[in-house]
Amino acid sequence: MIVCLAVVGHENNPLYIQSFTESDDALKLHHIVHCSLDVIDERVNNPKKSSPAINEAFLGLLYPTENYKVYGYLTNTKVKFILVTTDLDIRDADVRNFFRKFHAAYVDAVSNPFHIPGKKITSRTFGERVSSIVKPFGLNSAS
Amino acid sequence: MVREVSESCVESLLAEIVLSYCSGFYANKPELAARRIEAIGFQVGHQLSERYTMDRPRFTDNLDAIKFICKDFWSELFKKQIDNLKTNHRGTFVLQDNRFRWLAHMSVDPSVQASGNIQDPSAMAENKSAQATGMHLYFPCGIIRGALSNLGIECAVSADISNLPASLCLAFIILMPLLWLSQNLFSSISLQNADYAALLVQSIIF
Repeated sequence: MIVCLAVVGHENNPLYIQSFTESDDALKLHHIVHCSLDVIDERVNNPKKSSPAINEAFLGLLYPTENYKVYGYLTNTKVKFILVTTDLDIRDADVRNFFRKFHAAYVDAVSNPFHIPGKKITSRTFGERVSSIVKPFGLNSAS
Repeated sequence: MVREVSESCVESLLAEIVLSYCSGFYANKPELAARRIEAIGFQVGHQLSERYTMDRPRFTDNLDAIKFICKDFWSELFKKQIDNLKTNHRGTFVLQDNRFRWLAHMSVDPSVQASGNIQDPSAMAENKSAQATGMHLYFPCGIIRGALSNLGIECAVSADISNLPASLCLAFIILMPLLWLSQNLFSSISLQNADYAALLVQSIIF
C-alpha cells in the first residue's frame, strides 16, 4: 500500500506531497522523503559501475527502512518523484508502470497555464487523478 | 492519445499576438513588446519541454540537449527537423531552418518599398521588412529559451533572417553563459545575466 507520494523540484523545493494513510505520522513520512533526496543526489552524481543505465529515469529502490520501501524517479527536467510504500513484495515492473502514469499526470498538471513553475501544484484534478492511480496499486501486487 | 493543433490557428494567433503587443499594449515601446512576447514564449517552451522529454532517457550533456531541441522538439512543433547545426565548441550554437513554417505564409507589404528613400530603395525596403518579421521571431526564440532552461541550461537565444522572402532561412543563435566572444564589433564581454544577454544580442542583430 502506498503511504506517501512526493514531487520535488530541481532546487529540492516541494511541489506536491500527499500521504495516503489515516494515521498521524505525516511528519515521519515527510522526513523519509527529505532523506531520500540525498540518496537520489548521490545516485545521480556517482553512478555505480554495475548499474546498467545511468541515464534512465527510474532510479529503483533508494533505501529500505524498517517498515517502508522508498522508490525514486528522476525526470529530464530534474524533477524528482518519490514513492513510499509499505508493500514488501512489490515488483519492479509495477513501480515503473506507476511512475509512468504519474509522470503523465504531472506533465498535464504542469501544462496548466495557471500553474506557476516552482510553486506547489494546487490542481484538484491532479489530486483526483493521483488517487485513481494510487488505489489499484496495492491490489494488483497483492494478488 | 495524441492531440493535434490546427496550424492556421497557431499562425493567426501568433500574428495577432505580435499585432496587439506592438500596436496596442506597448505601442511606442518595441523593446517592451519584444520582452513580453519572449516571456510568453518562455513559459510555453518550459511546459512543452516537460511534455516532450517524458519518455526519453536523461541527457548527458549540453550537446545532447541541443540535439534533442534540433530533432525531437522541432519535429513535434514544426513536423520537421533543424536543417543545419553549427557550433563553435565554446558555447555558441547556430540552428538553421531553411523553411520556417510559422513565417512561410507571411508576405511583405509592397507599399513599404514605395515609401523608402529614393537613393537606396532596396536596402530601405529590406530593412523595414526585416524589422517587421523580426517581431514575429521573439516567440520562437522564447520557446527555445524556455525549453533549454527547463533542461537546466541558461542561455540567450536570438534569431536572424537571411534571404527573405525567397527561402526564409532562419538561424537561431544560442549563447551559453557567461563568456561571449564576437569577432566583429566587440572584444570579449562577460555577461552576468542571461536576460541582459538576450536583449543585447537582439539589439545588435535587429
